[in-house]
Amino acid sequence: MDILKQLQTKAEQVEVVQMRNEATTIEFEANRFKTSKVEETSGVAARVVRNGRLGFSASSDEKALDRLVTNVLESADFGDEVPITFPAPQTASQVKTFDPAIPDLPVARLVEIGQEIVDMILSVEPAAQVNVSLNRGVQQVRIQNQAGVEAFFRRSPLSIGAEVGRIEGDDVLILYDMLGTTAWEQDYLAFARRLVDKLKLARTLTTIDSGKMPVLFSPTGTLVLGLPLMEGLNGKNVFTGISPMRGKVGEKLFDDKITVVDDGTLDGKYGSAPYDDEGVPHRRNVLVERGVLKGFLYDLKTAAQSGVESTGNGSRGLFNPPAPEPTNLILAGGSTPLSEMIAGIDEGLLVEDILGLGQGNIISGAFSNPLSLAFKIEKGEIVGRVKDVSIAGNVYDLLKEVTAVSRETLWVYGGLCMPYMLLPEMNVIAKE
Amino acid sequence: MRDRIEAALKSSQADYTEIRIEQRDATTVAFRGKDLETASAVVDTGGIVRCLCRNNGWGVATFNSLDDLTARVEQAYQCARAAHSEQLIELAPIPAAQEQLTVSLGEGRDFRGISMAEKKALAESYNNILLTFSSKIVDTQTYYGDSFTRLTFASSDGTLIEEERPMVTVVAAAIARDGDNVQSAHETRSGQRGFDFVQGCEHLARTAAQRAVDLLGAETVVGGQYPVVIDPVLAGVFIHEAFGHLSESDFVYENPKAKEMMVLGRRFGQDFLTVFDDGSIPGLRGTHRYDDEGTPTRRNDLIKNGILVGRLHSRETAAKMGEPLTGNARAINYRHPPIVRMTNTAIEAGTISFEEMIKGIKLGIYACDAYGGQTALENFSFSSGCAYMIRDGQIAEMVKDVILAGNLFTTLLNIDAIGNDFQWIHHAGGCGKGGQYPLPVAFGAPHVRIQDVVIGGK
Repeated sequence: MDILKQLQTKAEQVEVVQMRNEATTIEFEANRFKTSKVEETSGVAARVVRNGRLGFSASSDEKALDRLVTNVLESADFGDEVPITFPAPQTASQVKTFDPAIPDLPVARLVEIGQEIVDMILSVEPAAQVNVSLNRGVQQVRIQNQAGVEAFFRRSPLSIGAEVGRIEGDDVLILYDMLGTTAWEQDYLAFARRLVDKLKLARTLTTIDSGKMPVLFSPTGTLVLGLPLMEGLNGKNVFTGISPMRGKVGEKLFDDKITVVDDGTLDGKYGSAPYDDEGVPHRRNVLVERGVLKGFLYDLKTAAQSGVESTGNGSRGLFNPPAPEPTNLILAGGSTPLSEMIAGIDEGLLVEDILGLGQGNIISGAFSNPLSLAFKIEKGEIVGRVKDVSIAGNVYDLLKEVTAVSRETLWVYGGLCMPYMLLPEMNVIAKE
Repeated sequence: MRDRIEAALKSSQADYTEIRIEQRDATTVAFRGKDLETASAVVDTGGIVRCLCRNNGWGVATFNSLDDLTARVEQAYQCARAAHSEQLIELAPIPAAQEQLTVSLGEGRDFRGISMAEKKALAESYNNILLTFSSKIVDTQTYYGDSFTRLTFASSDGTLIEEERPMVTVVAAAIARDGDNVQSAHETRSGQRGFDFVQGCEHLARTAAQRAVDLLGAETVVGGQYPVVIDPVLAGVFIHEAFGHLSESDFVYENPKAKEMMVLGRRFGQDFLTVFDDGSIPGLRGTHRYDDEGTPTRRNDLIKNGILVGRLHSRETAAKMGEPLTGNARAINYRHPPIVRMTNTAIEAGTISFEEMIKGIKLGIYACDAYGGQTALENFSFSSGCAYMIRDGQIAEMVKDVILAGNLFTTLLNIDAIGNDFQWIHHAGGCGKGGQYPLPVAFGAPHVRIQDVVIGGK
């Protein structure tokens, strides 16, 4: 049944989104290939504006589409009056997010890659337990609305993640890293080499005293600073008034070395697609430029509420209405080589991984986290791993003064591109 | 449907096959600030087939279309054959259960018969309490959700369970702001119950609003080591996160080093510390008659009088470790195979009153309510929803950003008092593991005192 047509006779505005995903997952558990899984998910979500009120519903049951129609109309009866306008068709830039090499990867090849990663890690840490998960898929999204949008795109996400556990008595080290892409990556082992490097470095244990010291964040560690910013830059938090950055566009909030960009148009990246999930073309959004706040991330609804245009950041799952989310979030690299940054530290901390990322009152910018992997830097050299150390602070204070941002940047956890960042002084708490 | 499931099972060439079909109807009403974000109903139907080939591995197929179950079984079988295991994979035997478990939510209280208008009105009434509480409250999040799942589970071992699973939830969250100072607090209530379970929760909205406003005036805690008294909510979350996950035997069964660390008989706490998980207690969020492999649930002691005495199992881990079945294989929905999970996890009541517990503390912290937590095996980190200083045996000023961090083993041994005020917590939210979130679980605990806890802070 043509739901779009059917709903158009009953509502002023209609949006119908069809999603269809196929995925294959190969899992290595405790160094061995243990499970494989095939998934096929499909469903339809609909939004209507009826008598000025917005309604939403979804169904994964293709035989229950009549109930979808009833549900979405009932939802609109109770919905809020939102000045939302489903967009007219707009030309999107060409973004490569489908690479046939990914769906064509045979299961046997995925298993081979998994084994390669396990072997690589066991060669440096024979007693480690390695879990590897390899997932390749094809996602198809079709977005239609009454204004004529007929957006269709295909994506071919590939993710390879490895968790390494090393237990020595009561000392436990757990490391995780992953590759996330939508285009086949020739150097698919880069993330595993990073794990190997960290495992080697972590063999030497040392101690550090509590106190104030320079702290260097690695690309994975930088996330602890980036996450509160992501929350604060989210148009929903700006509209509702809880973002500390609300009303400060044009103000210099951070050090000159801080530039933050969201860009869903990069070929092959994990968060890329020609359109967002509301049929608005993705684009490059500069959020912070040389420390000056430039703008926020919006979907259609929060944009309408705030009286601005959608930035193409509407993101949804089948069963949830859209909300603003970053696509690929980039903290721009700087001008200092990493080696120079390390060489300039007399005594300090290198933060690689954080425990409890995102917990606590992060919208305020505050964080306080134990470090699951951190190293001590002494006289310009990384001298060993430190345990039972935590850091705390507020990003809105800390990022006012940044000593250096590295030339090198790294894509981590899929759609995040991060540099190394050196802060002049932070409070480090070590267990006595 | 039953006939089709049985026919598909018969067609399987695998050593073991199970099929799980779910039909879920769910309603959500969500307010954000003064705006209604959504009032909507969704329909979710799908299934999962899991096959085991004992000398290969597990194969899984998940799907939305229920048209051709036999083809799904073949898909899962082919997946299972792709894997390779050096040792035969065994499953601990269970009695073949044949059950039809229906629920009655009571006359007029079954949320399926309640109009969207009434559900919206309930959420709106809580939201209005938050909005009108103080001019400092700049944002709210109020949520009402219900879901009713009909599921059929059948296995080649002869189990056939048809079950109804209801769940109703309310969440009231307040966000207060004073200049750049933004603070939030939330309260929740959730259970496998009828609509009446989430009516009359005005006090929860008031508590959340009051706390968010109070936090605006709180100073950031001064970091350091303190004696800490944690309330039943935080104690429950702590025992679940910091210890419970280590009791899930999928973490130890293939890992000799982890087995050494979690060896039964090891002392984990003082004599008065007893911790258990029990999926059979009526009325709690983590309760079911059977787990998602068809194993009956029961009480499982994990720590008894300070000594590690047990752990949680699936059929595979129990067979591998030669330990009794516990009924802890759980899946959040048909998109995932069951893995070892907790149900309702608790610290058993002690004998000490709250007053006695804080009496001797010259400088310490009283930490309440959990905001979140994470563990990496023996290291944990939790943030409390609100906290107070304890000065000279008295509860003193409120402090904020209290995050407890530490090592599990030393922290459990540092528990030196357990309260007599045990309670089960009916909080919403849930547990995440292996990409499966949120799984309904419950926590229970009394007040607990821990010495020498590291608190992050300025």
